[in-house]
Amino acid sequence: MTFEIVLMWVALTFYAVATALFAFGVTFSKDKLSRQALFVSALGLAFQVASLGIRWARLGHGPYLGFYEVANALVLCAVAFFVIVAWRNPRLSAAGIAVMPVAVLLLGGAMLAPKAGMPITAKLASYWLFIHVAFANLAFGAFAVSFGCAIAYVIRERSTSGKWAKRLERLPAQDVLENLTVRFVLVGFLFWAIMIATGAIWANEAWGRYWSWDPIETWSLIVWIFYAVYLHLRFTLRWHGERLAWYAIIAMPLALFALIGIPLAFNTPHAGIGGFGKDL
Amino acid sequence: MIRSAWRRLVRFLGSAGLAIWLLVIVGVWSMVATLIPQGAATDHEVTVWASAHPLVEPVVRAIGLHQAFTSLLFTVCVLALGVCTALCAWKRTKAAMDKAGTLRRAAVADERSLTARHDLEIACDPALSGAEVLSIASETLNHLGIKTKRRKDLLTAVSSPWSVWGSAVFHWALLALILALIVGNLLRSEGLMGVAVGQTKADAPVSYGELHAGPMRDWSRVHRSIRVDAFDPHFRTGGIDRGPTPTVSVLDGAGKVIKTQRVYPNMTLKTGSLTIYPSDWGLSATLSLVNTSGVETARSVQLVDFSEEATDGTVPVGSVNVSDSAGNALLRVSVSVPLDHSGDKLLKGIPKKPAALVVVTSPDDKPVLDRIVSPGEGVTLPSGDTLRLDTIGYYARLSVVDDWSIPLLYAGLVIAIIGLTIAVAARQQIVLATVIEGPDGAKLAATMRLWRNASSSRSEIERELGQALSRVEEGSTT
Repeated sequence: MTFEIVLMWVALTFYAVATALFAFGVTFSKDKLSRQALFVSALGLAFQVASLGIRWARLGHGPYLGFYEVANALVLCAVAFFVIVAWRNPRLSAAGIAVMPVAVLLLGGAMLAPKAGMPITAKLASYWLFIHVAFANLAFGAFAVSFGCAIAYVIRERSTSGKWAKRLERLPAQDVLENLTVRFVLVGFLFWAIMIATGAIWANEAWGRYWSWDPIETWSLIVWIFYAVYLHLRFTLRWHGERLAWYAIIAMPLALFALIGIPLAFNTPHAGIGGFGKDL
Repeated sequence: MIRSAWRRLVRFLGSAGLAIWLLVIVGVWSMVATLIPQGAATDHEVTVWASAHPLVEPVVRAIGLHQAFTSLLFTVCVLALGVCTALCAWKRTKAAMDKAGTLRRAAVADERSLTARHDLEIACDPALSGAEVLSIASETLNHLGIKTKRRKDLLTAVSSPWSVWGSAVFHWALLALILALIVGNLLRSEGLMGVAVGQTKADAPVSYGELHAGPMRDWSRVHRSIRVDAFDPHFRTGGIDRGPTPTVSVLDGAGKVIKTQRVYPNMTLKTGSLTIYPSDWGLSATLSLVNTSGVETARSVQLVDFSEEATDGTVPVGSVNVSDSAGNALLRVSVSVPLDHSGDKLLKGIPKKPAALVVVTSPDDKPVLDRIVSPGEGVTLPSGDTLRLDTIGYYARLSVVDDWSIPLLYAGLVIAIIGLTIAVAARQQIVLATVIEGPDGAKLAATMRLWRNASSSRSEIERELGQALSRVEEGSTT
């Protein structure tokens, strides 16, 4: 096991500990535990950045190729988004009970995947790769935080009295949580749009076609449309409350599926990016 | 009556409900389309799927799901979405104009107008002076992420009028994108053209092996040709093997070179509306027909593709006819090139000792002769003429796309992203506050419009301001 992989295992362990601390913190109304969980998440993030940094230096390219790298980059962005948001607004730490389990599961899955580095092929040798993948990761990070906020919203909405109501009383007001969910959906929607646009431009540069209804392209569009419907429901039809939160909760796994599920399930030119090291 | 019906139709087409349903239909349709093989009814994958799903296949075929993204239903939905987007963009433009006007008025509002008209009053600790109330209110709002400015006795946090234009710009750009896509598809052409090294082909339908051209494509205005100057099967640059790489030239109608470059992935040749990309490659055999007097009467370049199934590793892309002076086909000639082997593996490329298998048949496919010949050698045809193999070389199958809408699409994408960024990032808010002195003490009078992207909610602002401005009183009583 290389030093780089050891660091990643340490990061995964910290994330798992943070998940447990968030769960205990919220369940037993211990603010201190939630603060510690946030600190542990940040620590895990530092180890993950270090591991990916070493890998980047070794391979000469960022985390773009294969399930291990792609899932890693998605987790990195999701946790980074969450840590920054919760650091700025500590009352949102409770959203960690939704965001961190996703990070642990995804990174855990990545640790089981082949970790051998893949070289950049002629089709990927473009600066568009960095831009395209970076916005995909940023979009997922934003969607993951919106997912966390929406889950926190639903839990509290269903706990208007009793122990859980008391435990969750330190969360921001429900309308603030809802606004945050919408804002992160908006940010993710923008980043996802940039990801699609840069992908189309890159496809035209690389293959002479800007759109070919490849399964990944199609599912990227589906996810974007799914979130576009969310935004129309929120801003035009004035939906709010629990049903809007449920929509955001359902949407995030769809985005995750588009990013890492589709390359595994379908034979696409993107296969090497998200798949288990399929040839490009 | 007609006007009323028209208004109702416009209202329906511009309704959010219809837009949402259309988005849902397009989304679900696309989702289903990824699960069903796409292509013509004769495509292998489609026929295999059809025989495996005999129950659903008639429905799938009837609604056009095998060609989901060019089907009538999908096209109608996208067109309806375009109309919806246009009406929605128009509504958003009007709303943005109204909001921009409100923002401009709010930017020049004064204490007197706010005192006369406000939508929120918060009672303050009587011990606080007007200046202290405004100072505490400013700090509280700042804490909630709303940066205020002090203008005499007025606190203001008013967004710039351009902040409300993001959504309208985004929707207009989306509409422009849809229009550019439609018009581009009507006029564009996209095809595969096999060009051997040294060969020049006119950019005309006859030169393409496979061609998709829009119904409004006008070939009479295209006066150019495409030439392959060289071919490197293992081109390396920047430390990366770029794969088989042709050097391609585009020539104008007079034969003058417009542009020449190597083309490989991420390095397409672009000139004007033309994009050229190397889709595939193979071998080529140049044949000459020499008459009994030794005079060359015809020359043809035959393209040969690599094939795992073929015993010699290649298959002819097509055949050439040998005709009499009246144009009647006498013989049909096809060529393949036996490849070198490395163990069981066929080596793609020109063999060390190049040779071609020349197969001559009658027009009704009866064998006449077949022989392996090396460059310079020939086979004698029944007519006495000789079919000579001149050279064996490479050919590049070029993907040639002529689409002038691409720069427009790029521009539309950039404008859409700018509009969306403004819609996502720019705050659309008006917060005005001043102090009203009365017999019951000071009150904070405020007006709030938190349209979009506000850092806080109205209820939170009210609560926080209420707590902050009564804190001193609470402190003094405890």
